[in-house]
Amino acid sequence: MASTKPATFLEGWRLLLRHPSLFFWVYLVNLVLAWIGTRGFARRIGAVLNHSLIADRLVYGFDLGVVTSLRALPGSAFGSPATGLLGPSFVFTVFLLFITGGLLVTYYNDAPLSIGPFFEACGHYFWRFVRLMISFAVLLVPLLILAGLGLRLFGRIDDRAVSPFTAVIFMGVALAGIVVLLMCVRLWFDMAQVIAVAEDEPRMRKALRRAAGLLRQNFGSLFWLYFRISLLGWIGFGAGVRIWMSHIRPESINTAILLGQLSILIWLGTRLWQRASEARWYRLYWDAQTAESPAPATVVSSAVFGTPAES
Amino acid sequence: MKLLRLACLLACAAFLAAGSLKAAAQTADKAGPAAKAQPLSTRVVAYEIEARLDPAKKSIQASEVLTYHNLTGQPQQTFPFHLYLNAFQPQSTFMTESHRDDPGFEWKPAYRGSIRITRLEVAGMGDLTDRMQFVHPDDSNADDRTVMQVELPKPIPPGGDVQFKISFEDQMPRVVARTGYVRDFFMVGQWFPKVGVWWKGAWNCHQFHETTEFFADFGTFDVKLTVPQGEIVGAGGDLISAVSSSDGTKTLTYHSEDVHDFSWTASPHFQVVEDTWTGSGGTVKIHVLMSPGHDRTTARYLEALKGTLQAYDEWIGPYPYDRITVVDPPHGGLEAGGMEYPTLVTADTAWWMPKRAYVPELVLVHEFGHQYWYGMVATNEFEEAWLDEGINSYLEAKVMDHLYGKETSVFQFRWTQLGEDAEQRRDYLRVADMDPLTRFGWKFQSDSAYGGISYGKTASVLLTLEKIIGEKTLMQALHAYFLRYRFTHPTGEDFLKTVEEVSGKNLRWYFDQAVYGTNILDYEILDVQSDPVNWYEEDERAAKPGSRLFRNYVTVHRKGDFIFPVDLAVKFDDGQTAREHWDGRDRWVRYTHDRPAEIVSAEIDPEHQILLDRDLFNNSYRVEADKRAVRKLSNIWIFLTQWLAQCLAWLT
Repeated sequence: MASTKPATFLEGWRLLLRHPSLFFWVYLVNLVLAWIGTRGFARRIGAVLNHSLIADRLVYGFDLGVVTSLRALPGSAFGSPATGLLGPSFVFTVFLLFITGGLLVTYYNDAPLSIGPFFEACGHYFWRFVRLMISFAVLLVPLLILAGLGLRLFGRIDDRAVSPFTAVIFMGVALAGIVVLLMCVRLWFDMAQVIAVAEDEPRMRKALRRAAGLLRQNFGSLFWLYFRISLLGWIGFGAGVRIWMSHIRPESINTAILLGQLSILIWLGTRLWQRASEARWYRLYWDAQTAESPAPATVVSSAVFGTPAES
Repeated sequence: MKLLRLACLLACAAFLAAGSLKAAAQTADKAGPAAKAQPLSTRVVAYEIEARLDPAKKSIQASEVLTYHNLTGQPQQTFPFHLYLNAFQPQSTFMTESHRDDPGFEWKPAYRGSIRITRLEVAGMGDLTDRMQFVHPDDSNADDRTVMQVELPKPIPPGGDVQFKISFEDQMPRVVARTGYVRDFFMVGQWFPKVGVWWKGAWNCHQFHETTEFFADFGTFDVKLTVPQGEIVGAGGDLISAVSSSDGTKTLTYHSEDVHDFSWTASPHFQVVEDTWTGSGGTVKIHVLMSPGHDRTTARYLEALKGTLQAYDEWIGPYPYDRITVVDPPHGGLEAGGMEYPTLVTADTAWWMPKRAYVPELVLVHEFGHQYWYGMVATNEFEEAWLDEGINSYLEAKVMDHLYGKETSVFQFRWTQLGEDAEQRRDYLRVADMDPLTRFGWKFQSDSAYGGISYGKTASVLLTLEKIIGEKTLMQALHAYFLRYRFTHPTGEDFLKTVEEVSGKNLRWYFDQAVYGTNILDYEILDVQSDPVNWYEEDERAAKPGSRLFRNYVTVHRKGDFIFPVDLAVKFDDGQTAREHWDGRDRWVRYTHDRPAEIVSAEIDPEHQILLDRDLFNNSYRVEADKRAVRKLSNIWIFLTQWLAQCLAWLT
C-alpha cells in the first residue's frame, strides 16, 4: 500500500510548485476565455454606463436598483447568459480535458516536458479521457436521480414537519452524502486517468476496474488525500470571496479584481494539487508494488515522449 | 335653601351620571373592551357568526345572521353575496385566470376549497334556499360560483332592515392564495357569505378574480369560534370571552366594530408575543403570533410595526382601533403571508432571513398600511386597486426610507444595497406601457401588469408628484384625504381632487397622463458639445486653456409621449453649474452657454425625483467617459465565468 502519510499531501503540493508553468497556462487560458466571453457584455453596458452619471451608484456602492434598471432596458444590455457564460466554460472544459494527459505525465514523472512532447502526450491520451468522461457523465445520471429523490423527500419532510429545521437538517445530511458520493466517483475516475497514463493502458474499462480495486483497498488514504485538498480549496475560495464582498471598499475595483483572481487561483490550484497528489500517490504505490521493476510509464514516456528514463 | 337646592341638584346629577356610567359599562362589556360611544362608520351590516373548526377535516361548520340596513335610498329585493372560497376550484374564474398567467401552475386536489350554503332563511320570509342562484357579472364562466344572489319575495323598503340566517360549510383549501391551511395552521379569510356593496346606484359584487381583492360595507362583527382546546387563535376582533367545554373544545367570542371584514387564524404551535403602543388614537394592543423557527424575526416585526404606527399617526391620522394582530405563517405557508384584514395582518419571513434584508419589515409595513388604505379608506379593490395598493406602496417606501435609510431600505449589505424607490420602479419598468392605473383589476394584461402598475407605477407616480407639489404638500393631501374619506368608499377622483385642492394646483395635465393614460416618460441628454467660439482662427487652437471662450451646447430630447417639466444642471470645468428649466412640451430644446469653460457633465433632474422616467441612464451625460462601473461589472462577470468553467471542467 502506498504511503499516504502527510508526505504525499505535501509532495503533491511541491510537485505543483515544481511545475508552475502548467498552473500558469491553465489559469491563463481560463482567464482569457472568460475575458473573451465578457467582451460583448462590456461593450453593451459600456454604451449605457460610460457616460452616465448614474454609473457612480455602481462604483461607490452597488445599487441593485441600477442593475435591475439596466436589465429592464429594451434590448437588454446583459445579453444572453448562454453565450456569455456557457460558451467560454465549454471551451475551457474541452481544453482541460485535452491537456490532462500532458499534465499527468508531467506529474507522474516529475519531469517537465518540452512543448512538442507535452502536446504529444495530450493527444495520445485525449480520446481515452473522452471515453472516461462519457462514462463519468453516464454514472452521474443515477446520482442525479438520487439527488432528485432526495429533493422530493425534502419536500415531503418540509411539508409535514412543524419546525423548518427538520427538513433543513435532512437536506444538509443528504447534500453531504451526495457530495461525498460525487467525490468518490470523481476520485475513482481520477485514478483511472492516472492508471491510463502510468501504464499506458488503452482500455478504459480495465483502467476503471483497476482504479476501483485500488480505491477499495486504499479508500481511507486516497479519499482523505482528496478531501483535505478540496476542503482547503473551499475554505480558501470562500475566504477570498468573503473578504471581497465584506471588507473591500466598493470603489476599490483593482483590489476586487486581485482578490477575485486570487480566489480563482486557489480554486484552480487545489484541483491541480489533487491531480499532482494522485499521480504521486500512484507512483509511490507502483514503486512499492514492483520494487525491482522500473515504472512502466517511465518506459513509455521515454519511448513515446522522449523523456529520459529515470533509474 | 339655595344651598339645599344646589345639593339636591348635585346629588341628582351624580346619581344620573353614575347610572349612565353603569349603562355605558354594560354596553362596553357586551360590545367589548374598546366599544366606542359613537360609531366611526355608517354601519350598514351586522354579522353574528358561530363557527366550529374541524382541524382534521380542514372544515368549518357555521351559521351566520346578517342584519342588513337598507341605506340605499331605494327598495331592495335582490341581494348578491360573495362566496369567495368557491374560487378554489379548478374551473373557477380565479383558477382559470391563474393558469392563463402561469401555465406551469399545476392543480392539486388539496387546493380545492368551497363554501356551501346549506340553508338560507330571511326573517319573516321563510326558507329561501331554493331561490339562490349563482351569477357571473364579469364573465361568461357558468362554472364560477363566487357570487350568489337571492331574490326576496318582497322588497325591503329604504331605511328598513333585513335579516338573513345562513347556515354554511367551509372546506378550507391547502393555502395557495391568502386563505387555507398548511399542516395544522389555518388562515381563515373571506370565509363567510358576504353581502355586496350598493355603490354608485347599483350592486357592486364582482366575481373573485386572480388579480382582485375585496370590497364590503362597514358594520359590526360578533363571532364565536369553537376550536379544539390546544389551538391558539388570533382574530380581527376583541376577545370578549373564552369558555372551555367538556368535549375538549373551547369557544372564543370576538367583537369588532367599524370594520368591513373578520378573519382569524389558528394553530397549536403559535408563540404569542404581546406588546403595546400608544398614539394619538389611544393605546393599541399588539399581538404577534409567531410560528416555530422564526423567533429571530419577532423583534424585527415589533420594531417595524411600532415605527409604522408612529409614522402613520404623525403623517396621516390616528389609528382608532385598540388592537392589531400580526400573524407569522409557518414555513410552507408563505402564500398566506403578506395579506391584510381589518386589525389583522399576515407577515412574511423565513428561518434564514438575513438581518439586513428588510423583507419581513417591508411586508409588515405594507400590510399595516392597508389598515388605512382599504381598512378605513375602503376603496373598491376590484375596480380601483391602485387606490389602496398604490397609495400604500408609496407610503411603504416613505416609511421604509424613514426607518431604514433611503438607499438601503430593502437591502443593506456592504456589497450591495437596494432602496424602496428603486424596488417600486423595478415593478413598474417591466410593464411600463401596458395598462393605466385605472384599469379594473381583472382586466389588466396579466398578473404581472396588475402588480407592476397598481403597486409600482402608482408609487412611482406619487413619488414623482412630489417634484410638482412637494413631499410635504403631498403628505398633507394624504392626511386630508384620509380624514375626509375614512370609513367611506371614495373613488379615484375623490383622491385626485383632494390632492389638487390641498396643493392649490391644477394637476389634470399630470393625472391625465400618469393615472388615466399609459404615456411613457423618458427624457434624454441627446447631445453635449463645447466649441471654441473662434473655432475658425489659427491662433485659437494654440491659445492657453482658461483664456478661450467656448460655446457650450446641451440638447435635451423628449423620447417618450409623457410631457413633464424638467430641470437641467450643466457643470463646467471651472466648477460652475448652470441650471435650466424646460416645460418639456416640445420634442427637444437646446441650451447654449458661452463661457471660458467647457462642459464636464449635463444632467436632467439632478435631484432624482422623476422616478417615472423609464430610462434614468440617458438622463445624464459625462463628457469624459468613466469606465469604472463597466470594469466592476465585467470583473464580476469574468469571475463568474472562470469559476463556472472550472466547475464544469471538474467533469473531465
